[in-house]
Amino acid sequence: MSDSNNRTGIGPQLSAALAALVDELLPGKGDWPSGATLGVQHPVMERIAMHGGEAALDELAAALARIGAPFEGLEVDARVAAVRRLEAEEPARFRWLRNAAYQAYYENPAIVTLIDGRGTPYRLRPHVRGYELPAFDPATQTPTHGRGHWIRTADVRSVDTSGLNLETEITTKWGLQR
Amino acid sequence: MSANNDIHDVLIIGSGATGSIAALVLAKAGHDVVCLEQGGWIEPGDFAHLHNDWAWRRATSWNPDVNMRSHPDDYPVDSDSSQVLMWNGVGGSTNVYGAIWPRYRPSDFRKGDEHGLQPNWPITYEDIAPHYDRVDLLLGTSGLAGDPAQPPRAPCPTGPLPFTAAAGRLAGAFDALGWHWWPVEAGVVSEAYDGRPGCNGCGMCNGCPRGSMTLNSRSIWPKALAAGARLQTHARVLRIETGADGRATGAIWKNRITGMEERTRARIVIVAANGVGTPRLLLASGNLANSSGMVGRNLLHHTLVAAQIWVDEPVNGQMGYVASLISREFAETDVSRGFVNGFNFNCLTSTPSAGEMTTGWMSGTTAPWGAGHHEWFEKHFGHSIGLFAIGDDLPNPDNRVFLDESRTDEDGVPVIRMHYEPGENDRRMMNYMLDRLEDVGRAAGAFEIALQDYRDANGVYRTPAWHMIGTCRMGADPETSVVNGWHQSWDVPNMFIMDGSVLATGGVVNPTPTISALALRASEHIRDNFADLSGTTRTLAA
Repeated sequence: MSDSNNRTGIGPQLSAALAALVDELLPGKGDWPSGATLGVQHPVMERIAMHGGEAALDELAAALARIGAPFEGLEVDARVAAVRRLEAEEPARFRWLRNAAYQAYYENPAIVTLIDGRGTPYRLRPHVRGYELPAFDPATQTPTHGRGHWIRTADVRSVDTSGLNLETEITTKWGLQR
Repeated sequence: MSANNDIHDVLIIGSGATGSIAALVLAKAGHDVVCLEQGGWIEPGDFAHLHNDWAWRRATSWNPDVNMRSHPDDYPVDSDSSQVLMWNGVGGSTNVYGAIWPRYRPSDFRKGDEHGLQPNWPITYEDIAPHYDRVDLLLGTSGLAGDPAQPPRAPCPTGPLPFTAAAGRLAGAFDALGWHWWPVEAGVVSEAYDGRPGCNGCGMCNGCPRGSMTLNSRSIWPKALAAGARLQTHARVLRIETGADGRATGAIWKNRITGMEERTRARIVIVAANGVGTPRLLLASGNLANSSGMVGRNLLHHTLVAAQIWVDEPVNGQMGYVASLISREFAETDVSRGFVNGFNFNCLTSTPSAGEMTTGWMSGTTAPWGAGHHEWFEKHFGHSIGLFAIGDDLPNPDNRVFLDESRTDEDGVPVIRMHYEPGENDRRMMNYMLDRLEDVGRAAGAFEIALQDYRDANGVYRTPAWHMIGTCRMGADPETSVVNGWHQSWDVPNMFIMDGSVLATGGVVNPTPTISALALRASEHIRDNFADLSGTTRTLAA
């Protein structure tokens, strides 16, 4: 356990390292600002602390130090390679950081405004005002296909399951492996 | 121990979808009703919806999975498979559900006749059909009558929700395939109804603090309280007590504010604690009501797989109610498919959150990081549609909830454990469902289709289990069921179970409408026969 003296300075260092990571995950491009420009590293850091306490911050600082963040003096390819190393060597930590960064980015009011301004209706807190949607129009939107059937209680009949062989023919490949 | 000697007419354990309805019916009839709820009231500000970081909260503090949040109202549920989705508090899981509101079909009650791999219910569709309609009036269900794939029904009290662009795209796909589709029924008012505002299309449909979605703490409890029902919050029931005659006398509960144990006595006890909480309580009460050995067994979740598709034209699925259409094309058994039972497509819109879209909503497909991120986002956000395929799983007594006697929670109650594994018929059905989901995606002209089988890296099926049903099933035979057709315990004649645990089969639909209709029916039965039922020492076949 680090004592408070040893942890002096970890905040600014971690913040800088995290900002560098965030900018690799969410680089600026065109209208889209980079993650660090928006300060995405700050809510990410706060959520790490909320999730795992100070120990999690220490672990993160160590993990980022291992990949050389904040990447000072490194070219783009080297920075990307460093982040890929984190992704490969610590996949769970990387997933958590990536998801936290993405969430913080897209809840930022500047990004919400940008998305909405590009023509995709989007609100910071949609529940407050909702979205304008035209009411259901019975005249034009009621299905007319006439398809569908159901079986009345009195008409339920026994089906022949003898060919199913549920006990003997076992499906081993199922789901996405099917 | 704190106790008073009052003997109430009715004690209800659990204040969710069913406990609230029972409280309303019985209090309106003039009965002295007390409801014990282990959680508290959920205030609008407690919901994720009103905060800028609502999407983050949906994944953390507002996560419907009890094991993904840390909330003092919860009790531990140790599952080796399913995600355990529920909410403990006034209104129960209606605080976090999506309120898709379809009904069972007549054949769902007759699977014993159809193939014998499931039991018949002791009641029929016709027995609860009027209660479906009356629950809809109570709650303001929205939808469109006239679906040729369902028995006739009364008009929905509020009309269908807006027909979104996602709905239009999928309707075109189903038409191209020649398959059934219909606008989905929802436990959401599409216009002002009973003091509740109509849906504003925000898309954040996991609970609804404005109350457009049926939230039983808003739609039912105020009426029940006005009728005289008493609701004791922060009251965690530890065990149900019985007398020498085997009848329930009441319950011992922990007051979570004072820390004291208290006793409440009643002539009739209604257990409404959901498909996990109810068997947990019965098992922790000395294996109560379990002469059949069926308490906790035959856990059903439905077979569930999903797809996320992306289409070229914007469909803006971030807007509008979470569900759009339902397709009942495959709802009935056709053994030529290689399995019994059927399934529906519950067609969604999409996630309301840009962040969720990038972090793997529905299918687990995540946005790439780095140089390609923004291009991916522009191509995918506003272009996504989600689809569930939800089918009728076969009961298996080894799929169950049970007590871990080696561990207790903070109140000294053994920890409940859960195990669920799909069987052969279920696996075949899910393979078929995934193929059909691909058919829909292709017919919709999707440029990308991502399937979801809910299996983890080790192959364990970890379904998001909103539907925890079957664990105290209803039947005609005390040897193989826990309650009769009126929800009355075979073993404890003045105790009734009113929640999803009594469902003998799961149907191919979200169960809350059926659970609610059954609760209304059973509550009215108790109301109309209170004198007999509160004194009876024998449970008769319904």
